[in-house]
Amino acid sequence: MIDGFAVELRQVVKKFGQVTAVDKVDLQIRDGEFFSMLGPSGCGKTTSLRMIAGFEMPTSGQVFIGGEPQGYLPPYQRPVNTVFQHYALFPHMSVYQNIAFGMEMQKVDKNEIQQRVGETLEMVHLSGMDNRRPKQLSGGQQQRVALARALVNRPKVLLLDEPLGALDLKLRKAMQVELKILQDQVGITFIYVTHDQEEALAMSDRIAVMNQGKVHQLGTPEEIYEAPANRFVADFIGESNFVPGVMQKMGPPAEISVTGTEQPIAVEWLEDGINAGDAVVVSVRPEKIRIHPMGQAPTYPAMCRLSGQVEKVIYLGTDTRYLVRLNEESAVVVRLQNIISGGGHFNEGEKVDIRWDSAHARVFKE
Amino acid sequence: MSAIIPETRASRMAHLKQRISNISLNFYGILGYLFLYTPIVIVVIFSFNDSRSTAQWAGFTTHWYVDMITDSQIIISLWNSLFVAIVSTIISTIIGTLAAMGMERYRFRGQLGMDALLYLPVIIPDIAMAIMLLLFFNLSGIGFEVWNVNIFGINLAVPYSVIIGHVAFNIAFVAIVVRARLSQMDRTLEEAAQDLYANTWETFRKVTLPMMMPGILGGALLAFTLSLDDFAITFFTSGAGFNTLPVRVFGMIKKGVTPKINAISTLMLAMSLILISFSLISRKRGGEDQSIEMF
Ligand SMILES: Nc1ncnc2c1ncn2[C@@H]1O[C@H](COP(=O)(O)OP(=O)(O)OP(=O)(O)O)[C@@H](O)[C@H]1O
Ligand SMILES: [Mg+2]
Repeated sequence: MIDGFAVELRQVVKKFGQVTAVDKVDLQIRDGEFFSMLGPSGCGKTTSLRMIAGFEMPTSGQVFIGGEPQGYLPPYQRPVNTVFQHYALFPHMSVYQNIAFGMEMQKVDKNEIQQRVGETLEMVHLSGMDNRRPKQLSGGQQQRVALARALVNRPKVLLLDEPLGALDLKLRKAMQVELKILQDQVGITFIYVTHDQEEALAMSDRIAVMNQGKVHQLGTPEEIYEAPANRFVADFIGESNFVPGVMQKMGPPAEISVTGTEQPIAVEWLEDGINAGDAVVVSVRPEKIRIHPMGQAPTYPAMCRLSGQVEKVIYLGTDTRYLVRLNEESAVVVRLQNIISGGGHFNEGEKVDIRWDSAHARVFKE
Repeated sequence: MSAIIPETRASRMAHLKQRISNISLNFYGILGYLFLYTPIVIVVIFSFNDSRSTAQWAGFTTHWYVDMITDSQIIISLWNSLFVAIVSTIISTIIGTLAAMGMERYRFRGQLGMDALLYLPVIIPDIAMAIMLLLFFNLSGIGFEVWNVNIFGINLAVPYSVIIGHVAFNIAFVAIVVRARLSQMDRTLEEAAQDLYANTWETFRKVTLPMMMPGILGGALLAFTLSLDDFAITFFTSGAGFNTLPVRVFGMIKKGVTPKINAISTLMLAMSLILISFSLISRKRGGEDQSIEMF
């Protein structure tokens, strides 16, 4: 491997007629990494994956696998394997034949095929199911066969397109853990497509957050959750409050006047391209905000404080959510952990102060 | 309490209505079957009738069957029928399957027109098709050569025109059946094969073809049956002196319906039954397999 990347996309564009499904995407996926592509429906995840597998050819740009440009190589000449969303198991073949298929096509020795199929079946906990037809298996078992069928070929990269999408929630959770363990075990690079952010956060080493054919942010789960790069990412990953305001002073310290309040608040991180006087939103996660009875919030430097009134209290077991109305236009959700039983520390209608550390706020273009 | 009674009564009424409608449905069903099968049963029974008359029962005999199989004209026409059916089925199954794949897999200009053209032989009356083919053979002058074959010591002289004619209408039926099958096939199966290092040909042989097989077999069976059954097209395209079984029967009927014709009809019925059982068995066996079940 020349550059140390398992897969690299350089300026890849894919157009279907007028629709631009993938728009100048650059990605560098490291060797052995669990890499996820996350984004809403239609953002181009599947198309990107299909271009790596060779089912679609880029309109422009280049896909590299193990440092080699793939050009127009057909799927059967690429060192990757795919786990399809609906498994795509061959219904006219047994489990054994399904798993052996790739090796047979590569003219692997019969004895070795037998041995590797056995090992792989064991790895996915399906030993003894060799002679079943796919139709005689449950959804979860079919999923494992699909996984085994791909993994048995020991590809450089495994491509998975929403592989757990068809499973029920409980099985899904169990399979997430299992997949992660499996990936550690085999050490193969996984490229995982999902629109389920929780799944992506839980499993990935790094995540590419996509929207409308573009990569909006690429980073570790912590990076994209704690430090979203723009409003789309902040909104799509987890829950965020967006408080509208106007950029007062570029700083440092930068200051924003929140719409409907007089006192400006300090902010540390600004999205690129914001100028003084621009309309912006301040984005803060609900769990980063604290609530105090009116006038009792402590003041520290780098602490932002706003006043409001509790509009709604929702008790959720592990935590309680408060909807605090700041003014006509804006309200924020605050999430407090119920460390002490009883929950309701504040009542609906109560006047309160809220505060957050300015390091936890991110300022995006309106 | 009183609130409940009308409800039970209503539900009882509904029950009763359901039963009445079931019974009447059964009644009409039976009537339908009677209508369909009475003539067939009569033909079969009278093929064993020991009398020249076809109106009165005069005891059991297999005389007519002996008569039938010792009539060399009938035997030759039976072999002609089988030969034409087998050859035209093989050719039309191959061409029809390729046509179905072309129509289903590729998008091209004028596809709708091609679709319509493909279905035309199914829709237009046999007689129109027969006349068109006759005109075609007459104008082009091709097809009237004869294919000489010897089967089990029996010499057949089959005009190519008849085989071409049968192929021409069978292609459409095969293509329709195979295409229906193809349209239900999951394309990602072929992608999966390619992903697993199967090249285009291996993908076709290992995945596409086996998945299409029930459709191909169904289409072939249909073609075979239609070919055996055909009268109009054979009659018009064969020229003088060539008979398939239906054409032969037609010739005999002109001299009056005899119990021998009943015997031939019974034989043809038996052949159809065997074909139908084949298709049922192959479907049932495929039942374990999702791919075949969809057919
Ligand atoms: N074969 C195709 N022909 C035309 N348009 C296509 C084709 N495949 C994808 N598209 C379009 O490209 C865009 C991206 O599609 P893609 O399947 O990559 O989305 P996705 O992110 O996988 O979405 P989902 O989460 O719904 O699977 C969509 O607007 C889709 O309609
Ligand atoms: Mg998709």
